[in-house]
Amino acid sequence: MKKLIILSSIVISALSLNSCTDNFLTVQSASKLLADGTYYNTKAHLTEALVAAYDPLKWFDYSFGQYESLPFVSDVMSDDVMTGGSDQNDCLYLHKMSNYSALPTSVCSNSWTICYSGVNRSNIVLQFINNAADMTDAEKAEYKAEATVLRSFFYKVLWKYWGNIPYYEKNLTSPYLCQQSNHDQVYGKIAAALETIIDQKVLPVKSASGSEGHVTQAMAEMLYAEVVMYQNDNTRYSKALGYMKDIIGSTKYSLVNDYASMWESTGEWGTESIFEINYTAKNGAHDWGSAIATGGSVYPKLIGINSLNGSPDYVGGWGFEPVCKSAYTMFDATDKRRDASILNFATYATVTGASYAPRYEDTGYFMRKYLPRVGGNAGYTASADMNYNNNIRVYRYAETLLNAAELTLATNGGADAGGQAQGYLNTVRSRAGLATIPVSIDNIMNERHLEFVGEGKRYWDLIRSGKASTVLVPGSALNRTVGWSVSKKYLPLPQSDVDSGQGTLTQNNY
Amino acid sequence: MKKKPQQRCKCHDLHLNKLFISLISTVIFLIIGTLSVSAENHPVKGTVIDEKTNSTLIGVSVIVEGTTVGTVTDMNGNFTINVPSESSILKFSYIGYTSQKVKLNGQSELKVTLSENLKNLDEVIVVGYGTQKKSVVTAAISRVSSDDIVRVAPMRIEDALKGTTSGVTVTASSGQPGAGSQVRIRGIGTTNNSDPLYVVDGMPISGGIDYLNPRDIQSIEVLKDAASGAIYGARAANGVILVTTKSGKSQKMSVTYDFSYGVQSPWKHRSVLNAAQYAVMMNEASVDAGKGVLYADPYSLGKGTDWQSEVFNNNAPKQQHQISISGSNDKINYYLSAGYYSQDGIVGGNFDRSNYERYTIRSNTSYELLDTKERNFLNHFVFNQNVSYASIKSRGISTNSEYGSPLGSAMVFSPLLDPYADTPSEIAAVNKKMADVNGVPVRDSRTGTLLNIAGDNYNEITNPIGQLSLPNDINTSNKFVANFSAELTLWDNLKFKSSFGNDLSFWETNGYNVVYYLGKSNNNSRSSVHSTMNRQWLWQLENTLSYDKKIYKHSFNIVLGQSAQKQTGRYLSGTRYLMVAEDPSKANIDFATGTAAGDQLVSGSAQDPSTLASYFGRISYNFDERYMLQATVRQDGSSNFGSNNKWATFPSFSLGWNLTNESFIQNSKPEWLSSTKIRASWGKNGNQSITPFSYVPLTNQGNNYDFGQGESAVIVNGVKPSGTPNPDLKWEESVQTDFGIDFGFLNNSLLFTADYYSKTTNGMLITEPIPSYIGESKPLGNVGTMSNKGVELEASYRFKVSGFNFSVGANASYLYNRLTDLGNETGYGNLDTYANAGTISRAQNGYTYPFFYGKKTNGIFQNWAEINAYKNKQGGLIQPSAQPGDVRFVDVNGDGKIDDGDRTMIGKGMPDWTYGFNLNVNYKNFDLSMVFQGTIGNQIYDATRRTDLPSINLPSYMWGRWTGEGTSNSIPRFSWADNNGNWLSSDLFVKNGDYLRLRNIQLGYTLPQRITKKVLISSLRLYVSAENLLTFTKYEGFDPEISAGGTSIGIDRGIYPQARTYTFGLNLKF
Repeated sequence: MKKLIILSSIVISALSLNSCTDNFLTVQSASKLLADGTYYNTKAHLTEALVAAYDPLKWFDYSFGQYESLPFVSDVMSDDVMTGGSDQNDCLYLHKMSNYSALPTSVCSNSWTICYSGVNRSNIVLQFINNAADMTDAEKAEYKAEATVLRSFFYKVLWKYWGNIPYYEKNLTSPYLCQQSNHDQVYGKIAAALETIIDQKVLPVKSASGSEGHVTQAMAEMLYAEVVMYQNDNTRYSKALGYMKDIIGSTKYSLVNDYASMWESTGEWGTESIFEINYTAKNGAHDWGSAIATGGSVYPKLIGINSLNGSPDYVGGWGFEPVCKSAYTMFDATDKRRDASILNFATYATVTGASYAPRYEDTGYFMRKYLPRVGGNAGYTASADMNYNNNIRVYRYAETLLNAAELTLATNGGADAGGQAQGYLNTVRSRAGLATIPVSIDNIMNERHLEFVGEGKRYWDLIRSGKASTVLVPGSALNRTVGWSVSKKYLPLPQSDVDSGQGTLTQNNY
Repeated sequence: MKKKPQQRCKCHDLHLNKLFISLISTVIFLIIGTLSVSAENHPVKGTVIDEKTNSTLIGVSVIVEGTTVGTVTDMNGNFTINVPSESSILKFSYIGYTSQKVKLNGQSELKVTLSENLKNLDEVIVVGYGTQKKSVVTAAISRVSSDDIVRVAPMRIEDALKGTTSGVTVTASSGQPGAGSQVRIRGIGTTNNSDPLYVVDGMPISGGIDYLNPRDIQSIEVLKDAASGAIYGARAANGVILVTTKSGKSQKMSVTYDFSYGVQSPWKHRSVLNAAQYAVMMNEASVDAGKGVLYADPYSLGKGTDWQSEVFNNNAPKQQHQISISGSNDKINYYLSAGYYSQDGIVGGNFDRSNYERYTIRSNTSYELLDTKERNFLNHFVFNQNVSYASIKSRGISTNSEYGSPLGSAMVFSPLLDPYADTPSEIAAVNKKMADVNGVPVRDSRTGTLLNIAGDNYNEITNPIGQLSLPNDINTSNKFVANFSAELTLWDNLKFKSSFGNDLSFWETNGYNVVYYLGKSNNNSRSSVHSTMNRQWLWQLENTLSYDKKIYKHSFNIVLGQSAQKQTGRYLSGTRYLMVAEDPSKANIDFATGTAAGDQLVSGSAQDPSTLASYFGRISYNFDERYMLQATVRQDGSSNFGSNNKWATFPSFSLGWNLTNESFIQNSKPEWLSSTKIRASWGKNGNQSITPFSYVPLTNQGNNYDFGQGESAVIVNGVKPSGTPNPDLKWEESVQTDFGIDFGFLNNSLLFTADYYSKTTNGMLITEPIPSYIGESKPLGNVGTMSNKGVELEASYRFKVSGFNFSVGANASYLYNRLTDLGNETGYGNLDTYANAGTISRAQNGYTYPFFYGKKTNGIFQNWAEINAYKNKQGGLIQPSAQPGDVRFVDVNGDGKIDDGDRTMIGKGMPDWTYGFNLNVNYKNFDLSMVFQGTIGNQIYDATRRTDLPSINLPSYMWGRWTGEGTSNSIPRFSWADNNGNWLSSDLFVKNGDYLRLRNIQLGYTLPQRITKKVLISSLRLYVSAENLLTFTKYEGFDPEISAGGTSIGIDRGIYPQARTYTFGLNLKF
């Protein structure tokens, strides 16, 4: 009897343990919450989601092992800069892209990952925004607009690099596959999404002080113009022109008098600035081991002058992105933009006594706009090299004016109705200290080349104007053995995604 | 079968012990025996003899059962004792012999024969949740006893396994004091964590097994096959190591004191170029690259600095003390011990940079609280407590790194440089450099002498004495492991056991960083102090019911159980910049004054808790010890998995047949064949080592962005989901089949065991092959497969030759590993990289995991004709950039050119064969033991030469480089211009890694008792030993034993070698 009692008590205790076993096996994370609709349901948390969507903008300079700063990747395919570094194997993907010989395994594949991270995070804001009980409809509309514009910006980068890409507006679920859209379809979706947002007019034309870095109505309009003009979609030109005129008419932006001052940290977010990618040296946590941490940028160090000595203005770097001599000599000697944009070392050395050690593809010219300034990483906490505060200038008011000029001509069959286009061009040229020239598409394109050298616009301008195949030809000045042809418009898709895409991706005919 | 604390002894000390006991007994007999007066009236006398030899046995213990009355046999094997009754029972026991009980039945004169206990087959093996007689074990289990452990005087448990067990590959990670070893049971089972599970006295140990003092270990059982491991289910896929600590043995209190003191020195320097040779080579490379002559007269430079001699610390001390008290009486069995161990490293030990110190305390006690024969239920109750505490303090230097570890730098630093800036011109040069870079120079921390600074072209390679002179972190850990259990006999042989175990550990790292300048890539401009503290608590509650029964010839053992465990913890870490002064005694966070936002860094959190709940059962059955069958099932639930797959079931079966116990064989078998057993087993085990919460998305902070202008920009917190969750994640599963055979020959003095196994790991947890365009980190999935097959052989033989007692053991294991499916889209994954050589190791479907990766070479181009003759099918040159003296690479993929596509498997770090053998000899008072250990079929990737730094020193083999036609067909020309890619990863870096090492040799002498008895010492043994006295290897590096991290096995980046140690020691017993 006794043993029966004991046995049954053991069984009972075992059973009662069993009943609470599932509770026992369900544990809570010590410092994290479930990141689903139960978290993203307040304004504070949706703000966090939105901030997280901005985060990938900072990753282009260096994140997953490759240096893919937006201006550098674009310009290295143009006729303004070369790759440099120690030799042709140093950042092989850039050398290959520069020579129009990119491979699916050697291409700016980090940008693929970065942009889709931005897409995914923007979609999270859009997915959960309606859960936020403490937000007004106006606030929700603004958040949605920001997320949509950001997402469009990331898609714009993907579209310009690769053309034919998967486009989705709701995050993928298992088995995580999405059919590829062709470049025209992608364009249509980006343009449509932007039109909807811009026409809602829920975003401020310009960020309030302290909020610089957020996308704005002006930024969205500039993005729209960029996309429409790259597509040469004349059906949307008048709309784009209207948007440019909105910006001009708002009088919130104006050209900075001193062109050179824009490239110093004090010139960031000046009156001319419509959108910049923010990098901040102070407390910069950007590091080799945590390359996507917030802080400064490594891009200035990457293009810094190798073994630089005796410079009062700049610190040395690793000698990437040497500037072609032609990019310097194309300027009129009186053009204020020439020496503000490009450092002619020979001249600089005579003034300062500075010296440097040439690296691969050295030309003696350097991209002054983004060179690392002395003290430019002051206050960093992680890697000194990775925390320069040079913001990436994405859209400037000067481009608004030149866009407006170009669109004015394009919508009028080349004529300048009322001299508006001429006026826009004159404004830009007079700031540079230059005389007026007659407005024409060619002159505008040339002005863009001068105004935006080193800002990642030239290559795309050559493509959309149809001049790429005649300008981007093999030659020793650019150390190029392969010339541009139409098939080079879209880079090879990253091999790993073609492999894992289970047939959803057809490789570009690069 | 009632399980008492196991009485075991190994043959090698059997005879020794016999001798001691004889002597002790004689003494006792002489002093006490004759004087003992008994109140009883039935005198009995007799003689005890050895069954085989008919010689009398001295010192046999004779006890009247149920009393404390007893005596021992005298010099002639005779005894006299007064017994209380004529029907008393006398118990004769003698170490190494089977005890015997004799019922007097009125006899007053006895002749008792004792037979030697050829213990092996009666040996009891510890299995999970119980023990088993070795003769009926059906699983593949290797065993290491305390006697084996004493022979190698290990510092950590892994050292005790090395060379002593088959199927276990133990590779030292480095020679740094306290460094652990990589232990792989039956190969690398998964690309994830392949460490075995350690269970000490029933308690699973997490986070560091070095708390365990090997001298406290009674036995180690290695559960190798799935059948034995299955009782540990979800954690057994990589094998289980069961450790049983010591308990009191004899009635008499035994006090032991062990002491040893050793001195360690490196056993090998790596041969590098001297100053003259270095200058010749640099000139050669420089001229070839068009950069002119660097050193006008190389041969005037002489030998230069031998950096290795500057860095190595010869005669580094190592010492060890251990006191234990143990004994037992009717009710209590106790073992108490305290140990101390300290070791200075052979690199940096003299700078207080590489040192280890450990204190251990253990108390194992068992109380028999109830033992009655009045009833057959609730008649026996035993309570056990095993409590241990360890405190460890260690400092370590960077090991196995080509990026500026002290030893890595010593190997490649220029011999032209002088360590010390001790001339006015050198001091001036250092001061000028410091002024230029605004830095603080480093001084030798022992003498204060100013050190020379490396030039900018050495990158991370800096003056190694400077590296050793900088402060480093102090790591301390404190660990308590306490296990309490109670066993109640419910009825007949039905027992209920409940145990509660705790593993509580605290560990911390404290350190500071001074302002210094050692080189361009090794300097610091702001002082700081940092501190990290962790604590972790693992508790386990287990309840088991066991039932043993023998009915006629049917023996059953049934175990049913439940187990629950939970692990929690917390850590806190902080750093503060700007110390008030660089004072080591005050290097605490509050001694720093930085107040800017980045000057005070803090992080901390509770550990994510993890829980495991399990139910298990095992039935063992044998018929007449002829046919054995065992079945086990364990069901585990783990908090690491989501609700879809929380639970998993792990079954196993095994069968055995003792052929020689069959009467038809028994009668016909040859005399020399004593036993034969055939075994087979099949089972499934799991691996749950996975980052928790991979099944749900959690908030991930720190996805920040800064808004605002310039200096006033503010970082705003961004939060995103942690990743793409996979709610269907489940356990890795390994399925294993094992066939084994055990033979005993010559009355079981020669034993032989062989096993073949095949083990497949399915559902390896690997990142799923989905496209990156999902925009988030990819989910983990159960997508990989790995297989291991192998053969294991173990043999032992004991014999005597004219007073010499020999015991010989040998083991060998063969391993065949294949990564069947890595589960990703490409079928490969690149692992380790090295300087400019690129990827040097890889995982790839269909290959062994991991393997060395690079190009194959086929000699050196001796002249232009050879280069021009090396053509592809189209008639083009395969190596158009080559020139004479360059490497001829093999066009592996046959595409007519040499590029990355020609890389292939060029070697592997895991051996095909690992083997060990040991020899023990006793003669009179002397004993000698040797343990050898070795590997066959493994290679070493010699990644010690930084090919990206042109000015570094070179290994001596580079002196034999190609300098003209016919000069070398293996080492290419040396030039700073290398268009051919001579030093990209290739088999030029891969060296033969086979070795055979005399791990330990020990010679002992036990003082004659007639001397020691005078000072009440029951035995005193003195010994000298040497570790790593001999190493036979073709490898030119410091040490052929290299493992660092899971995939880096065999990759030598300047390994901290194991020392050669000469030790003197003593074992004292009261």
